[in-house]
Parts: sequence; C-alpha cells; structure tokens
Amino acid sequence: MLGALRYCFFLVLISFAASMSVAQTPEPPKFDSPTGASPSPLFGATPFTQQMFRFEEFGAQPYEPSECTTCGPMPAAPDCQSGPSGDALDHYLDEPMSPPPTVMANEDLPNAWHTRIEQCVRPLATSAIEGRPGGENFAHQRYEEFFPSMYFKTITAGARINGGVRDEYQRHGYAKGEFGPNGLYYNTIGTEGFDGTTAKIPVKFHPLMPEQDPLAFWTFDGTFPPKLLMARYGHPILFRHYNALPIDPGANYGFGLHTITTHEHNGHNPAESDGYTQSFFFPGQYFDYHWPMILAGHDHINIDASDPRAATIDDNGNVRRIRGDWRETMSTHWFHDHMLDFTAPNVYKGQVAMMNYYSAVDRGNEAIDCHYADPENPNNMNLCFPSGSASAWGNRDYDVNLMVSDKAWDQDGQLFFNIFNLDGFLGDRMTVNYQYKPYLEVRARRYRFRILNASVSRYFKIALIDQNGNRVPHHMIANDGNVMEHAVPFPNAESADLPTQAIAERYDIIVDFSQFQPGDKLYMVNLLEHRDGRRPKEAIPLPEVVLNQYCDGPPDFAAADACDTVVGRFLEFRVVAYTGVDTSMNPADYVEGKKKMIPLPSFTAEELANAKHRSFTFGRSSGTDTSPWTIKTDGGQGFGMDPARLSAAPDEGTAEIWHIKNASGSAHPVHIHFEEGQILKRNGKPPPIWEKWARKDVYRIGPMPDSGDSVEVALRFREFLGTYMEHCHNTTHEDHAMLLRWDIEKPGQLKIMPTPMPTWEGVGYLDTYTLPTYKTGDVDEDDDGVTDDLDNCREYINPNQRDTDGDGYGNWCDPDYDNNGIVNFGDFNRFVRAWGSANPDIDLNDDGIINFGDFVVFAHYFYRPPGPGAKQ
Amino acid sequence: MTGFNVMREGWRTAAAGLFVAVAAAITLGGSPAEGVSKGSRWRAEYFPNVPLVTQDGEVVHFYDDLIKDKVVAINFMFTSCNDVCPAETARLKQVQRELGDRVGQDVFMYSISIDPENDTPEVLKRYSEKFKVGPGWLFLTGKAEDIALLQRKLGLFIADLPDPDDHNVNLIVGNEATGRWMKRSPFDDPKVLAEVIGSWLHNWKVPNKSLAGKYEKAPSFPRLSRGEYLFRTRCVSCHALGSDGPLGPDLLGVTEERDPVWLARWLKEPDQMLAEKDSIALELFARYDELPMPNLSLNDVDVAALIDYLASASRDVDSENTSAGP
Repeated sequence: MLGALRYCFFLVLISFAASMSVAQTPEPPKFDSPTGASPSPLFGATPFTQQMFRFEEFGAQPYEPSECTTCGPMPAAPDCQSGPSGDALDHYLDEPMSPPPTVMANEDLPNAWHTRIEQCVRPLATSAIEGRPGGENFAHQRYEEFFPSMYFKTITAGARINGGVRDEYQRHGYAKGEFGPNGLYYNTIGTEGFDGTTAKIPVKFHPLMPEQDPLAFWTFDGTFPPKLLMARYGHPILFRHYNALPIDPGANYGFGLHTITTHEHNGHNPAESDGYTQSFFFPGQYFDYHWPMILAGHDHINIDASDPRAATIDDNGNVRRIRGDWRETMSTHWFHDHMLDFTAPNVYKGQVAMMNYYSAVDRGNEAIDCHYADPENPNNMNLCFPSGSASAWGNRDYDVNLMVSDKAWDQDGQLFFNIFNLDGFLGDRMTVNYQYKPYLEVRARRYRFRILNASVSRYFKIALIDQNGNRVPHHMIANDGNVMEHAVPFPNAESADLPTQAIAERYDIIVDFSQFQPGDKLYMVNLLEHRDGRRPKEAIPLPEVVLNQYCDGPPDFAAADACDTVVGRFLEFRVVAYTGVDTSMNPADYVEGKKKMIPLPSFTAEELANAKHRSFTFGRSSGTDTSPWTIKTDGGQGFGMDPARLSAAPDEGTAEIWHIKNASGSAHPVHIHFEEGQILKRNGKPPPIWEKWARKDVYRIGPMPDSGDSVEVALRFREFLGTYMEHCHNTTHEDHAMLLRWDIEKPGQLKIMPTPMPTWEGVGYLDTYTLPTYKTGDVDEDDDGVTDDLDNCREYINPNQRDTDGDGYGNWCDPDYDNNGIVNFGDFNRFVRAWGSANPDIDLNDDGIINFGDFVVFAHYFYRPPGPGAKQ
Repeated sequence: MTGFNVMREGWRTAAAGLFVAVAAAITLGGSPAEGVSKGSRWRAEYFPNVPLVTQDGEVVHFYDDLIKDKVVAINFMFTSCNDVCPAETARLKQVQRELGDRVGQDVFMYSISIDPENDTPEVLKRYSEKFKVGPGWLFLTGKAEDIALLQRKLGLFIADLPDPDDHNVNLIVGNEATGRWMKRSPFDDPKVLAEVIGSWLHNWKVPNKSLAGKYEKAPSFPRLSRGEYLFRTRCVSCHALGSDGPLGPDLLGVTEERDPVWLARWLKEPDQMLAEKDSIALELFARYDELPMPNLSLNDVDVAALIDYLASASRDVDSENTSAGP
C-alpha cells in the first residue's frame, strides 16, 4: 500500500518534470559502427556453424620442491619483434618448474633474454629472471603456512598452433564421461582428426576466417581453446607466469603492451600475488603468484576446522576439513591482465583465463553426499550442481564455462582495437569462448553454465529462448561466482531475463534441457544495445529480436550500420538424447522460502555500527575539473590513477562500509579487489532479489533500470596485507584512469607500503603518498563542511544547519512539519498551502520560496521518517 | 652465474659509455632494432597531416613535422580560458622543468588552441612568454575544423559538452613510432609524468632517475592535511612559500597581509574578482605579467583548509628563519 502510494506520488513528480522539459534529444540518424572502423568481415562464416570449444585445463600438478639440473631458461627470442617458436614453447611448458620458487623474488639470475634485450634496447647494468619486486615488500606472505601443494606454469605468447601439450593434464583425460570416446565433447572442435586432443587447433574465430597473427593475439600458451584453472580449497597454488611477448613495444599490431601483470579476480590472495597494476613484468621474465586457496575468515572463524561444510575433497572423494568461514566459499573466477594504462587492449587481446574453485559444497560431482538427499545432515553438504560423476571432483560434463565477449577485426581478419576511443571500445561481432557464434550439443538434462562477460566496455542482457522464440525458464545459482543463499528463478516478478551483466560480472545458471526433444534448438540472446562505450543504451524487446525486426539483414548483417550487430542470438544449443540418470540438484527446491544453498556471511549490527565509512564517486567532470574519468575519494578532489597515491587504508581484521556513487551519465561496473562484499542498499533501497542473496565483487552503477546511482557495500579485510585496487571494470575507463590504490594495513603499522617501479634492470621502489582521508575515511559524507557526527542533515548539503523547529533535524531533512515521525499527507497539506510563499518553516531547500525545488525534497521523504539520514 | 657477474661488471663500465650513443639514437627516432608497429593503424594513414601555425608564425604539418617518429605530449587549451587552463599550463611547465633540455631533443610538447579565431600566433606567443616556456614546447593554432579533427583522432573530443567553452583537459602522451599512446591528466604528479614520458615511452631505454628507494627508506606516515595536500597539488605550480614562485607571488605571510574575507574569495573565484575589476586583483594581474590567478574550483571547505595551512606554514617558516638566525 505504502509502496503504491509512493509510486503514484512519483508519477505525479515525473509528469510534472516532463511537462517542464522542452528540449528533446534527437535520435542520431545512422548507427555508427561502434568499433570506429568498417564492419568486421565474416569471410563467408554464418552463425552456429562451428562447435563451441570447451575450456582447456591448465592442469595444475602436485608440487614438490626440487632442483631440475637439466632444465634451462625460457627459450630465447629470435629477434626484437617476435617470441620463441611454438615447438620450443611446448617443450618448455612440459619441463618442471626451474629454478624453484623462492619466498622473495629471485633476483640472483638474469632475465632469460638479457642478451637479446641488450641488443634491442640498451646495455643493462643488471637484470632479474623474476619480475616480482624484490625484498620483503613483495615476498610471499605466509608462504610456509600455505605452502604450495600444486603448481602450474604458462607462457603468455603470440598466437600459434596448439601442440596438444596439455592433453595429458586434463582431469577427464579424454577418457571419462562426455569427454571420453562416444561422449559429446571427446572431439574438441567437431571435425575429423581432433578426437581426444587439442593438437593442431589454430587461433581462429571461425574455421573460415584467417588465422590470427602472433602480434595480433596474445594469450596463455599462445593457443586456443581458452584456458581454465581448476583449483581446490586447501590446496595452495604456485602459478609461474612467463612473458614471451616481443621486446619491441611496437610489435603489437597496433594495440596492447608487452609488459603484463596478472590479477585473479576476487581471489582471497596476498597483495604481492594480486597483480597490482604497477607490479608488471617484462618480456623474458617470469612472475610467481602464490594463491593460498583458503576460506576468508581463516584467522577468525572456525579456527579449529570443526565445521564439516568448510572442507575440501581429494581425488578419492574424501572430505578434509579446513579453517575459515564456509559461507565465504567461492566458485567461478577468472584471471586477466591488469597492466597500468593497457588493461583494455591486453585483456581484449587474449589475456583471459577462467578459474573454477572446487570445495566440499561445490565439488563438481552430482552424486556423492548430496545435500538435497538429507539437508539436516551436515555431512551432506555437497550441493550437487549439474556436473557429472565420473570423478570425485571437478567433472565438467554438464558444467560449462562460457566466456562471452565482443570483438572486431580488420579487413584481413586480424583482431582490431581502437586505442583512441577513450569512451569505451565496442566490438561489432559476438564471440563465445573466442569463437564467432558457435553451437554446443547438450544432453536432455540439467546443465550449469558459468557465464563471464569478458568484454572491454560492453554490457549484456542475456535471454534464453527456444526455437520458437519463447523464453525458457532457468535459475541463477551464483552471482559473481559466489553461490547464493537462494536460487533465483528467471523469469521472476522483477525481471523476465537475467539482469544486466556488466564487464567482469559472472552469472552461474542452471538450465533444464530435459523438457526438450532431441533435435530441438535453443538460443542465448543478447538484448542490450550499445551506441557508444560509455553505457548501454537500452534493452531491445525480445519479440523484435526474435522476429528479426531489430536487425534487418541477418545473418551476414549487410545492414551493419543500421543496428548494433551484437544484439541477437549468439549461442545455439542442440539437444541430444540423454540415457543416464540426472542426480543433480533441482534449483527450484532452493528458491526463497525453501532450502538454502550457501547462507550469507552476515554482518552483525555491532560490526556495521562500528564500521568506517568511505565514499568513492565515479565521475566524468568534463573540462572544468581535472579529467573526464576520475574517482573522488571521501569528498576530496577527483583524480586519475597514480600508482604512488594511497587513497584508503583499512586495518586488517576490520569491516567497513563503502559508498559507491555515480556522478556521470555513464555506467561504471566498479570492482573492489580482495574480499567480496554484500550490497546493503542500491539507490538507497534494498537490492533486487538476485543481489539480496548474493556476495558481489562488481558493483554496477549507471542509468540502467536495474542499476542506479549509488551502492552501499559492506566489506571485510582479513588475513593478508598490502596493496590492492578499486576501479571501473569498463577497462577503457580503467585505463584512462578510473583506478585507485588502497592498502590493507596491520593495525599500528608504522610505514607505508612503497610503490614498485619496474624497469628492464629490475624493480625499485618509489615513496608512496597518501590522501588526507586515507585513514579516517569519509567523515563528511555530503561534503558540506559539517562532519557527520554533528551534521543535522547528511543527505543534503546544508552548511548553515538551519533547523527552524529546533528538533535537531535540519530543514533539508525535515518535511515532517507536524513532528509525528513520518512524512505523510498531513505534512503534504501544509506544504501545498505554503506553495509559492516564503514561509521559512516550510522552506526545505533554504532558497526563500516554496517551489518545485522543495517539492523534490519533499517527495524524497514521502512516507519515510525525517532525519539526518543515519550512516547505517 | 659467475660468468654472468663478470659480464654484468663489464656492462657497468660499458653502459656509461654507451649511454651517449643510445641517447643519440633516441634523438634520431629510435634505434634500428626498434620495429615499426606491424599492421599499425596509428601512423601516417591515421593521423591527419593538417597544417598548424606555431607561436612564431611558422607553418608546420601535424604528422610530418610534429609527431612522426617522436615522443610527444599533446594537450588542447585556449588562452582566454581563465579557470583550468593556466593551472594546466603551469603543471606542464613543471613537467618541462623535470625533463630539462630533453624537451626539444627526444621529447616534444604541444599545446593546441581550440579557439583559433582568437588565439592568433601573436596571442599564443604572448601566452607562452607569460609562462616562460622553454624551447621544444610549441603553442599551435590553425583552422577550427582541422583542430576538431585532431581532437577526435586523439580521443580528446567530447561530443555532448553542456558548455561549449568547456573542453577535455586531458593530455595524451605517446611514441608515434611504437604506437604506444596513453591518456594522462596534466594534474598527475609532474615527476611521475616526466618519468612516463622520458623513460617508459622510450621502452625504458633511459635508466630511471628515481630507482633508489628501498622499503627501509620508506617515509613514516607522511600524513598531509587537506590544506597541505591542496597546496602541494594545486598551488606549487605557480607559488612557493618563502620565495617567489615560478609564476606567482610568494605566499609566505599572505594570511597576515590580506584581509581574510578578500583572500577567501580570491581563492574561490578569482576570475569573478578580475571581471569585477577588484583593485588588488588588477594590481596582481599587472604585476605578474597579466597571468590571471586560475579558478581552481575549490569549495568552502577547501578554501578554509588552504588558508589554515598557509597560516600555519607561514608561522613554521618564520620560526625556522628565526632559529636559524644569529
């Protein structure tokens, strides 16, 4: 009832506002191809004519410290403009890790390409084999305690033919389930000669398109398919990342930079292994990342490891309990480049891998210890998401990673990126797992899809339809890779299709294909239109897309300048008969009011009351301020990125509330590194159902209907120290330069973490400097000069603190004229009677007249209590 | 490893000698080993070779004469912009000081007017003299449509600005030969900006000046007050405490010398006061070579913090002078 009243009130407000506005923005007559170049040619390729890649596992192996006496350094670069041959790289990838990893960066040995660098760049006084900054600062934290039990290595290199070197490292071994002979995914690309191997797969977006030039596409190993790390809690990982990119920065096909740094998105990782934007490393070097794979809360919660749900599994299916908070269990991650100024082109160019976390609750096995079979028994903690049952953990038969991104290529078919588009780069072709509009065969049973938006600047809104264009119901089970408390059905009362999916957001969904017949086809459809990279324009109604009314000329898009060619069907599912027994959980049993999946790790009232507040305002303050893409911290000035500037420094072990605000008409998916947070409020209201039950690491703000201009997030900072980041994940905005640094400090810490400064000769350190508010946070949230503890209205700027009825609530926050504790029709009557007058007691905005300005403030409080707007 | 150490020692002596040669190569636009971006779209075919006129009246072509094979820093400004442009130019002047005589040799700076109608070469000449800019930094004007095209091509054009006088104050820095371009703000730390332009854009060919820092030497909590922070980031481009600044008056004792109400307003809206022909404002304008005090968009809290800081810093400097005296 109250909601309806407020709604009516708003309609009045809106029509009032509409009648006052005169100017209408004219529609642009023509749809500019959003890449800034000609439409990407298709070379005769049509949609849904190539089999979709399944991700290829890195295949982490058990780590035992040892010296390899026969192992050499990374193979040499033949010249300044290219990297080692594919054969040489494959041979090296097959060797054990040498030299062994060290706690502090290995600076004893020279860069493997020292001599070549001297020929190409300049004589070097010194150099180091590892690019990690030296000394204590970037030493691995708690290394002995979380000593690596697994390791893997990869070499970032230019595009090349896959040598099949990872075939033997696949968990399924091309022998089990759907990956074995007779399985759907035994043949890796669906044509003869590719049974049980990825050998000879070229880097192409479609078989009919040209192979990518080694300078145009840079990816892990340099090969297709895209790569996946399968990791388990309680099994710390050492990841050695080699850089085999050209020494010459100009050898890049016009975009991307050869220095790189790798961020594991939302990993609970120590700072030295978080891929700080300014701890990048050079061609010829490696960088050791140490990912401890512990549950957040390790030092504080379940420290005797007694909770059966906080646990990992071994290859035999045995459960081993670990410390920490099981409610912090994470599932679907990705890792990608985070190079200062060059994240957008480098990620676009192929520096992306996905990472699935496995645990006792989300173990990639749908048959053992299933929760639904006996929900009261804590030993039945396995949620049994669709996956498979051939192995004790990590089955991917029915658990599919989908990396969705837009791309563009030039007339030669080589990847294209516009480095001078600083609003946000858009591609004009849709790819899934790097392939132009593929198809995937699926059994008539339940599947889990882990959908990642890996674009530079493009948002998606994804619908699932059948061949007749009808929506197919499905459930979201994880948001940003974190399994939610309850599954959320789509369609639902708040949204027919999945919510807006910004860059870096991950949505895990479960689809039941058993309702379809073999031969049926289903489609994933993108509905969200972009006209530039600043924000999505609007969602195109599904019927328009289904009936091909949106883009008139499919499938080759002759009318590419008439519409956004990335709107439409982009992935085809072909249903195949299923003869097995589907024992996976039914997500409908886990919706709100029914069983719980992973409950939210709640914040106590005391924690929230004691939390420090910080505010981060993402703006485009054109011209009149310092630069277009800036972040204002805690009411201070707007800044672009300076790696030596420390903007905020929470203490380890504390909780804080961060207010993320939008001060531009653009959209910004804000990512905060380290621990995922919980959205307390979106636009001042409780968040929508898919965020209410979720832990998030990307906080979307912007003019989309399900986003809005402010988000309040509660965060914790536990277990590790050092330098982390917060930034807009529209990576063009991030590069130019909506990015800031924050550090976790030890309570009482006396020195500030210095800033690494990498060069060919090794890494030095610069002094770090701090913002005045870096320890205090935002003590004056509305920035009116009256600190929050004294401010009688924190929602509006009221430096004079006028309070005519003397009740302690400033007039700006106090339309409750009859002081009955609620702003309602009694107050509205008084307000209307005073319309046009100068009555100081009714005047809310202190401008001497009761007019529309006051009406807006009144409407804001209607059917709410008055007051300064408590800081939580 | 021993072998390498020997080699390393050898290089230490060789490095010094070779540095001159490398520096010479850079001046010529990159050593022979430095490749040209393969398939790069960001060369002659991309950049318009439009004619522009320098502050000395010389006609130059944007691609051939200004950026080809060079490391450059480019911003757009106009001389009658009295709020942010002077502060921007003053900050770039600091970058020029950091880079020293490399500007004009292997680093080039260009400020292009977006108000070519008013910014004639003579006006630009006068403007550059006011800021005492050194050689290697050109102020350029030309045809309005050519300049708009350059803004667009460099990604520094904003289509829907509410105020037509408004413009994008970003700076774009790049190495035309390697195709490495980065957008920066003129308000970045000038030392960092100089490092990026002087070293990073040259593929780190020039050894870093600032590499000595180690964790042991990290400062203990340099906590700056809001006022000191503003002073260091906004005021020092033109002013100093205890001596004449590079472009403006000494601020030591300014809080004593000026009426507090006048000073607060001067910090907040100097452009307005100049327009109203405030007598002190006009006197300062005349004394400092008609270089207007810019409007830094400070709010009341900023202004109060800045005045606090100037007052306390003046006392500190005074007491230092007294104790150092005989």
